[in-house]
Amino acid sequence: MSRAAVQRQQKTKIRLAVGFGALGALILAALVATPWQTFPDLRLWIPFAAAFVYFELHAVEVNDRLFASPSIMVLLTAAVVFGPGSAVIGAAAMAAVGLLAPEDIVERRWFQPIVNFGQQVASATAAALVLSLVVGVGLSEGASAIDAGLWRIALGSALASITYGLVNYRMVLFIVGRVYGRLEVRPWSHIGAILLPMTGMGFLGGMLGATYLEIGTAALPLTAVVFFVGYMAFESYARLREAQESTIRGFIKALEAKDLYTRGHTERVARFSEMIGKQMGFDGTQLERLRWAALIHDVGKLAVPRDLIRKRARLTDEEYEVMQLHVHYVEDLLEDVDFLRPMVKIASNHHAHYDGNGYHGTGHEHGEAPCKEACILAVADTFDAITSTRSYRVALTQPYAYAELRRHAGTQFDPEVVEAFIAGMESSGHRYGSSVELTEEEARHIAEEGLDQIRHADQVHGRNFPLAPTSKETPDG
Amino acid sequence: MAETRLHRLSIGLLAVIAVLAAGSLFLVVRTGGQWALVLLWAAVIAATHSLSVPTPSGKRINLAIGPAVAAVLLLPDVLAVTAAVALGLVGGWIVLRWRSKTDRDADSDYVAESISMIAFGLVASTMLGGIAGSTIPFAWQQLLSVTAGGVVWFILRALVSAWVGTEREDLASRYLWLLALEDWTVALAIFTGGALFGMTWLVMGLWAFPVAILPYAFSHLAFVRYSSTRVTYGQMIRALAQIPEVADLAPRGHSARTADLAVAVAREIGLHPVEVTDLEYAALMHDVGRITLTEPAILKAGYTDEDIARWGAQIIAEAPYLQEVSEYVRVQHSPYRRPGEAKDPDVPMISKIIKVASAYDQAVHEMQMSPLESLERIHRGSAYDFDPDVSSSLRRVLVQRGVVAA
Repeated sequence: MSRAAVQRQQKTKIRLAVGFGALGALILAALVATPWQTFPDLRLWIPFAAAFVYFELHAVEVNDRLFASPSIMVLLTAAVVFGPGSAVIGAAAMAAVGLLAPEDIVERRWFQPIVNFGQQVASATAAALVLSLVVGVGLSEGASAIDAGLWRIALGSALASITYGLVNYRMVLFIVGRVYGRLEVRPWSHIGAILLPMTGMGFLGGMLGATYLEIGTAALPLTAVVFFVGYMAFESYARLREAQESTIRGFIKALEAKDLYTRGHTERVARFSEMIGKQMGFDGTQLERLRWAALIHDVGKLAVPRDLIRKRARLTDEEYEVMQLHVHYVEDLLEDVDFLRPMVKIASNHHAHYDGNGYHGTGHEHGEAPCKEACILAVADTFDAITSTRSYRVALTQPYAYAELRRHAGTQFDPEVVEAFIAGMESSGHRYGSSVELTEEEARHIAEEGLDQIRHADQVHGRNFPLAPTSKETPDG
Repeated sequence: MAETRLHRLSIGLLAVIAVLAAGSLFLVVRTGGQWALVLLWAAVIAATHSLSVPTPSGKRINLAIGPAVAAVLLLPDVLAVTAAVALGLVGGWIVLRWRSKTDRDADSDYVAESISMIAFGLVASTMLGGIAGSTIPFAWQQLLSVTAGGVVWFILRALVSAWVGTEREDLASRYLWLLALEDWTVALAIFTGGALFGMTWLVMGLWAFPVAILPYAFSHLAFVRYSSTRVTYGQMIRALAQIPEVADLAPRGHSARTADLAVAVAREIGLHPVEVTDLEYAALMHDVGRITLTEPAILKAGYTDEDIARWGAQIIAEAPYLQEVSEYVRVQHSPYRRPGEAKDPDVPMISKIIKVASAYDQAVHEMQMSPLESLERIHRGSAYDFDPDVSSSLRRVLVQRGVVAA
């Protein structure tokens, strides 16, 4: 990004922070001033606010990249408990303190917290207003929410959580659009996936509030248990999922690092594949499947003797056979891992061609087109191969890789995937491969001549130019 | 031998519960109590006994404690509660038998659950009757009583199942006791659902259903996902551990067999369940460093077992959640004691177990020795190479498995 663009973005950020900060402060001031709202009993407000802050700071990744926290549940339980006369100011104050993240203060981040402050206060106020309107209309002053009837609390809290979700989403769209110039963060179809559990949690929160109004303080410990056990259950699940993914990533990283030609390959292919998937409108589950398939696609190659991977001359037929075995190694190794079964099928077809030729995994008929995900993997894998230095030739340029992908589109590669990849790559602005124009002939020639001669041309984006492996190299490196 | 005795005891206790059920139901009817309500709760308890949820410890816990909590709160006295719970337990056992999902082990597990459930019913409803009329608000009386009963239930359940497991499988009771305690989150979720229903049914009517069931349903979803992820995580580690075997750099099946034996020894010794999981992963991956041998230069230069262990540990250390496992793999070859020195206190038990299990499997499968010869070999190495505690535990496991004679 140019300096002018950075400055422009900085200015937008300041404007947004001032605007949202003022919005939050204004709402709070208006609520303090209005006689219609009185602050709830502090003995009730403090525990609810503490739980709210805790959950806001510890959101759990329940589904791929989808963060959720039971804070909406706490907010609505509290709003019902406070009653229509105190719900709005109580909820707004909870949202206001919910953003005191210690890391932000330590790292002196100001933009995110201030904008979030305004955004959260506004969404919480809107939600509590909806609840108070549904529950409070026709109630005499000072009456408890329970007098309105349970169905109105149920309806009100469900509507309130939908309001909260929508207001929050509109504001995030607005902010992201202003700062990053992107209008869509998530397609609308994905918002349903967030709103549904949110409505469920909001409804449950409201009903737990009603329980408090019905049976008194004995409901509070039970409510706390509901919050925390549910939270812990999801949190331990999310942590285990993360452990699973980081384990396979770590393993592959460690094993690839042993060889200069493969170092980082899997991570890049995973990144490219995910980018293509997003470009083609995949949803969270599909993206996760794709990412996993990319992570495991070369696991089999780790079992191939290194000298084959490093060989400079063309492989003999026999060696080529051994090399291709890695596709089946993946199947042997990972077919017993239940959740990886669909991904193994994708991964084992990453050498299959769009027109049905090429080398494919077990159970895949010759002549049959591989699935979309396998096509994506093939494009990502090939692009990284062309733009990385291999034993038999040095890295080629990005435009050369594009041309090569386009040349084989329709036969080896799926044309739609190739175009999605190039479009995504261009909009990301990243550069891979050599910065020096080379033909394939020259690239092979240089590799044969020895890499010493091209060490000065090491302007490969974001990576050190790979050096020739020596026999002294130990796996510790 | 112990098994038959255990089974006889279980059937005897079931008969006692059946008599208790019949007797208390008879008394309820005689005194003009709400026998229809008792039957209803007994039916719910019986039905939920066959529904269960996987727990973080890898076991399952059935849902019957939920309705039992609600029954304590909604039935009038100790007699009615006892009748409902005992009748429900007998009914649940009949359902289990009828679905033919039962064997001797299931019977003794069932009775273990039943004893703690009846204890729960007695404690909670006696306490509820006892503090009735005190100045404590009614809802708090309810909450305190079921909580007291719940604590008794959970501890008794862990104790009895640990005892049953020790009797049946010769596992260390410490291991089983800790394993049962791991289930507290799931137990608490089911328990809270029951308490919410019992406390809100009279005031909220049908709304008590969503109030009680929804929170549990949310947690249930997470528990089920957790347990399936736990299984696939284990499978994935097993798969990664096999890379050297697929590449023909390590003997096939060695890591899986070593892990299996090591876990059995660890349970026999009584390691904490969390450590047993770490041990399983470490044992599966103890030879993963052999993947380095795809490097021709290393094959040529030569290497030692310690090198393999160190390279393996380096690979595992790249996984952020396996730091400890990596350390266990790194020191797996450390001797128990060097001649003339005191034993080395720094070698973790897990590494010592892997050392023994791996050496035994190597002797049997690579040196073609008989199990007894292999065990003798380990015993001869005890006190220097191997920890004597581990090698005698190995003997007990092998005897238990019928591989060597007692």
